[in-house]
Parts: sequence; structure tokens; C-alpha cells
Amino acid sequence: MPDQDNKCTCSEQPLVPIIVEVIDIIDRTPDIKSFFVKNIDGNGVPFQVVPGQCAMVSLLPVGEAMISCTWQKEQEYLEFAIKRVGLMTDELHQIEVGQKIGVRGPYGNGFPVDACKGRDMVFIAGGIGLAPLRSFIKYCFKHRADYGKITILYGSRSKADLCFKEELFDLWPKEPNTEVFVTIDNAEAEWDGHVGFVPSYLEEVNPSSNGAIAVVCGPPIMIKFVLKSLEKMGYNDDQVITTLEMRMKCGIGKCGRCNIGSEFICLDGPVYYLKQLRDLPPEW
Amino acid sequence: MKVLSKAKLEAALNKLNDQNEVFVPMQKGPQSGYFTWKSFENGQDELMLDALNVYQSPKNVVLPQTEKMYSIKSQGVEVNIDKTYEDAHPTIIFGARGCDVKGIIAMDDVFLTRGYEDSFYKARRSANTIIANACYEPGANCFCNAMDVNSLDPIGADVILRDAGDGYVWEVKSAKGEAVTALIAELLEEKEAKLPEAKPFTKKVDYTGVAAKLKGMFEHPLWDKLSEPCINCGMCTYVCPSCYCFDIQVKMWGDQGYRFRAWDSCMFEEYSREAGGGNPRGASKERFRQRFLHKLEFFQERYGTPLCTGCGRCIIVCPTDVNIVRIIDAVKEAEINA
Repeated sequence: MPDQDNKCTCSEQPLVPIIVEVIDIIDRTPDIKSFFVKNIDGNGVPFQVVPGQCAMVSLLPVGEAMISCTWQKEQEYLEFAIKRVGLMTDELHQIEVGQKIGVRGPYGNGFPVDACKGRDMVFIAGGIGLAPLRSFIKYCFKHRADYGKITILYGSRSKADLCFKEELFDLWPKEPNTEVFVTIDNAEAEWDGHVGFVPSYLEEVNPSSNGAIAVVCGPPIMIKFVLKSLEKMGYNDDQVITTLEMRMKCGIGKCGRCNIGSEFICLDGPVYYLKQLRDLPPEW
Repeated sequence: MKVLSKAKLEAALNKLNDQNEVFVPMQKGPQSGYFTWKSFENGQDELMLDALNVYQSPKNVVLPQTEKMYSIKSQGVEVNIDKTYEDAHPTIIFGARGCDVKGIIAMDDVFLTRGYEDSFYKARRSANTIIANACYEPGANCFCNAMDVNSLDPIGADVILRDAGDGYVWEVKSAKGEAVTALIAELLEEKEAKLPEAKPFTKKVDYTGVAAKLKGMFEHPLWDKLSEPCINCGMCTYVCPSCYCFDIQVKMWGDQGYRFRAWDSCMFEEYSREAGGGNPRGASKERFRQRFLHKLEFFQERYGTPLCTGCGRCIIVCPTDVNIVRIIDAVKEAEINA
């Protein structure tokens, strides 16, 4: 199933974090921040990632959470875009530049970037769900000739909640053979773009299913309806990819809680073709 | 054959205890489980080598109920992990039954294969020797024979004991077994011993085809009925010799402390509850189903063997009479298109 085979760099002690330093923090939305980290000696990063892989981010002593790690061509720093949703992420949003935190990874399979070469790519995301897809999108633009037309469709609750605005409105639309569509759930005074939910906008935009691969990530309810829309639009189960989320503690397929059927999402996933998911119990 | 006479059993345990922490099945006050021979108090505690299964399995020897992982120092922006606590002190499980040996062998698959070796488990397990006790008379709730366990010749045992009346036949099975045998060589006698006749299992369980059949039964209505009595107390998971799920938590005193792991249970709502509030197994029935599918289907699919070892403990301790054998039977009998 995995396209790549990036082993954890901390393979001798896979459950023990490596201490890194937060070198920058950017507010993405009112409840999403990007945290940039580097090795504490200022040189490089503890590990490289492929698009779609995750790492355990550890705010000591509060807690650990599995977070998608942003891909870069030469990984000078690791970026984690993190939404404030629980105990650990609440605390993490309080820290300042210079704070030492722990990371361990990279974990999971990542997106099948090679298998998608030559295909038109349709990226569909909602809210913080753009964070993992952004790695794949960035990868496509770095290797632009390897991929066909790129369509990006993104939605959030409000204008303020749109994540990665610079890329959405400035950088990505300028890329060749690329279209970016953005929508928000409800009309706002300062917004002259599309209003409506992602699935219905997707059907309106209707990117051709012919030879295309759709990559989907967002809240479970969005994923559910986007999958229905894609089916209606003629996408087969082997043309649809998603990346899953479950509660995780170990990240290496041992602690038990992220299993769905005989799969461990942290280890065998988090990226799956819809075709593979259809064989699993419907707990995703 | 080598025989350890029962008159020399305590001497042997003392000898083994010189260089190893030796865990033996005993009744210790109200508790029954594997406790250290060092803690054995004459006149108060009772050795339970004849019992088929003490309540607590020996899994805590290789996967302690709580286990320190690494130190944390946290002062302002500075954070340090100075120390990790892999523990490789030599241990012996003395008198484990085949079902319990199988529980540890299953955990070996989990912790030592599929991409990552868990350093904490590896340290304990590599320094651990299993002296098994062959079963000649299965108990009323025993069904290990149906679950891929050979209770007369447990796979993974380093030494097998066979109760021959006034002594144990001592059968060495591995290099680790040789090493512990050398420690008590002068206590072993070379002689013939008559082994008991193996009695048949009274509980009849047929697991054949159950894993494959369960694959099509995730949405089957039988889960509603079977899960109804379950109160998700987690007793079954704690006494189970092969349940291995763990949580990672932290203990701090001021700016110093440590992370540790502790047994967790798929029976608990928090186990799979996500930070945002979502929970793929939020309902009692969903957790119940998860436990039995993991035991009987998913583990079989991933590791080629069921994660139930047929020890019968969960049947005995369940306060609401949930019974894995009746679940296997119900699956066998269920109509798939119901």
C-alpha cells in the first residue's frame, strides 16, 4: 500500500521524541497556527517527510498529537499547521517562538505521488483538511510537468477561517494549467466569492473525471458528501484518495486505538484509495 | 529425562531468583496472579502451580500495567529528555500455561514486527525467559485447543514443565531455556518419570471459518443482542493474556517528571475519542464489536492467528455474563443475510 518507505529516523527508540526548537509561528486563521521547527543546534531538521506523512508533535509535558507535516523540496524546517481543538493544541497555541517541543516521525505512508504522475489532479479540501493536501499540491507544482491539469477546490466556514490565503489567492492561481475555487459556508459583507458547501460547489465546477485523480480531506461530514458527489460525477473508487484521522498514541501500529479492521491508520495509512476503504469496516 | 522433584521446587526458585526476577502464579491475599518469588511469604501466600489459571495473566512481566518511558524536564522554553527507561533486567515467568505463553507470543508479533520494534517491550522481552507448565487436564472454561494453542507443547516456551506427580519433568526448548537450566543443574535429577494421560477438553469450541465469516458480519444485527449486557467495564481486557492496547500519559512534580504508558482498554469511550469530539466507536455496541472482531477477525487477518488464546478468564470475570465462546457459537450459527 505505501508508495514510499520512509522509516522513522528515531528507529532505535520510536516512542521517544526528539527535542526541536520552534523558530516561527504564523497565525493562519483565528484558530489555526503554523509552527515551524528546527533542530536545537539551528541546523536542519530531525527527519525528511514525503507529502501526506505525519509526525507526533509533543508539547512536554502536556501531550502528544499526530499532525500532518508540510512537505518541502529541501526540508529546511518542519511546518505543522495546527488547529486549536483540544487540551494539547489549546496549550500549543499559547507558546512563543523559542519554545522547545518534541517531534517524532515521520509516520504513515504518504500520498502516492508517483502513481498519480501524468494524471489531472483534483484537490478537494475543507477547513484544516487543506493542510495535508497542501503538501501534495506543493509537490505537484515543484514537479509541474509530471502532472496534468490541477484543480483545487477549498471551502471553510467563513472568510476568516480560510487557511493558507496567500497560496489560495496569490500563488496557486498563477501556476500554469491550474484553477483554484474557493467557497465559504455563509454570505459575508467582505466576500464576493462563491458561497455554499464544498460538495455542491464541486458538482457545479464539475472537473472531468476522465483520467483524473481526486484527493479529498476535510471534516468527516464533508468527506461523506464529497464522495457521493464524486461518484455522481463519474469518479471510480480507484480515482479517489483520502487521508484519514483517528486518535493515536504511539504512531507505529502498536497501541491499538487507530485500527479499522486489520489496518492501523498511523502505520498503514493515513492515505487510502477509496477502493481500499470500501474493503474496511465503515468506521472511517 | 531431567526431573525437578517437587521437594526441591523452592530451592530451584530460590536459585533462579539469585540472578533473575522470578514470577510465579500465586494466591496473594485476595489476589491471584503472577507475583515475584521474592515477595512470597510463607504461611500467607500460596503457590498456584497446580491451578490452571490464576486471575491475572503474566503479561505484566513484559508489558507492565504502568511502565516509565522517559524523563521530562521542563523549565520555561527549555525541555529535556535526559533518560529513557528501557528495562532489561532478567526475568523468568515460571509455570505459565500454554494460553498465557501464546498471549506473549502474540504480543511479540505486535511489538517486534511490522516495521517498528518497540524499544521498551524489546528490552523486557529479550531478558525474559518463559518456563511453561504443560496442561494435562483442561478446565471447565478452557478452549485453547480451538484457538491455535498447544497446551501440552506451548510454542515459544523456553522450558516446559510436565507434572509427573512428585516431580516436574524439565524439558529444555531453547538457548534461553539452557541458560536457566544451567542455574539449577545440581537440583535436577536424570531419571524416568511417568507422564499423566492428557484428558480431553470438556468445552467444545469450533473457531474454524469464524474469522472469514466475520468479515461479512460487521453490520450484522447479532451485535445489538450480544452487546446488550456489556457495561464496558474493561475487566475482560485487563485479565486477558493477549490484550495489549496502551495509553501514553505523563506524571510531573513541578518541572520534572516522566512519560509512562499504561494498559488501556477498547471498552472505554475515551480510548478512541478524538480531540474534536468525534469518536468512531462512541457507542457501547461499537466498542464491544471492536473487541471481539479484533480478537477473532482482525488480528487473524493481520498476524495469522487469533488474539484470543482460549484461557477463559474473561468468561469467569465478566460481571454481566458476556461469553466469548457463546459469541463464537453465535457467529457460527448466524445467517449472513439476516
